[in-house]
Amino acid sequence: MSAAIPPWLDRLFVGRRRALPRTARPPVLIRLRRALGRLPAAAPAAVLLPLATILVLAGITHLVSVLAMPTLAERSAYQRLSDIARPNTLTFLPDASPSGMVLPMTDPAFVSAVCLYDLGDHPLRVRVPATADYTSVSFYTSRGVAFYALSDQAAGRVIELDLLSPAQRAALPEDEEITAADRLVVESPSLRGVVLVRAYARYNDTRPAIRRQLEAASCMPS
Amino acid sequence: MRLLPLAFTLAAAAALGLAATYAAVTQSRGLDVVSAGAWQGWPRSGTTQADPYARAGFARSGELPLELADGLMFLATHDSAGAPLDGRCDLRISGPLPQARVWTLTLMDAEGRLIANDAERYGFTSNEVVYRQDGTIDIVLSPRARAGNWIPTGARGRVKVALRLYDAPFSFSSDTGGGADLPRIATERCP
Repeated sequence: MSAAIPPWLDRLFVGRRRALPRTARPPVLIRLRRALGRLPAAAPAAVLLPLATILVLAGITHLVSVLAMPTLAERSAYQRLSDIARPNTLTFLPDASPSGMVLPMTDPAFVSAVCLYDLGDHPLRVRVPATADYTSVSFYTSRGVAFYALSDQAAGRVIELDLLSPAQRAALPEDEEITAADRLVVESPSLRGVVLVRAYARYNDTRPAIRRQLEAASCMPS
Repeated sequence: MRLLPLAFTLAAAAALGLAATYAAVTQSRGLDVVSAGAWQGWPRSGTTQADPYARAGFARSGELPLELADGLMFLATHDSAGAPLDGRCDLRISGPLPQARVWTLTLMDAEGRLIANDAERYGFTSNEVVYRQDGTIDIVLSPRARAGNWIPTGARGRVKVALRLYDAPFSFSSDTGGGADLPRIATERCP
């Protein structure tokens, strides 16, 4: 009977068979290895030298751009906060929510406030009364490097400290009773930066109370 | 005639170098990564010893990393078996937690945003979570409502989880020993 395959179907199969790779190994790899094998014979200096130059220059570009990033970045934490906060005053950050947060990766369980400081004229005095729960104060340079932190556990009822620039710290008389007066002195590596005050709200409905307690915190030039 | 190859070399080098920088500052949070099971932590990124990659990444993203004396954050983007965390699946986070005065666990989408839901639940804190008899935790991340400790994932594709330990009395400067003390993450059921 008509067991013969129609010619159009046969052609289709032949086409399929040709489309399959001849060997199990991907041809790209084989071609690459052959090309690499021919490379030294083909034109060693003409190809390898520019290639090496590109790699070395790319490495230098990479390192320089990584090192320059903190100075060149335009949306760093300090710059973001400058839009909403005035220097040397405590400003509460809006609660983290799905619609956004001022600083990325903010812990939504915390009430946060910031104080942008400028030690150009005066040192900064930071005073944060401990709230009912975990409270901490951390310090960052204007480039976002954390250099000091203190929690209520370590400080006691009130976290109280003076932030000084290296020059102001050096100008402090050695024998002054400033350290004896139960006051911490912290030296900032940069003139400007961020003080981040955070208090933990264990439940969502304790948040307003924690926020009220944190409103007693202050940061001002001394 | 030598000008064209030179221009090409310089352009290729600049493109390659800047691409590597872009990849580094968007993907990496520093070189001092400490892995513990599914979790990764960067203890030195919250100190003045932060390496250039950490500094570059934070300057670009605008994040203020947790200062190490304050707390330490661990991030998980994959489960304990190595599969990427998928918000359409049921994910279970279970096991013991290290000693800490406070811990919080937060669910985010791939870009680090919180995931909107009617319950306004974005994670659990050490005070909210219901512990098991033996003091370990058992939290389920799922697009569908579940009994017990449930965080809605809103059926997002890729999600990530941040575990923050505050006032933890131990040091993470060295390795933590194979993740014995951080919870496991398991993908249980995928649609």
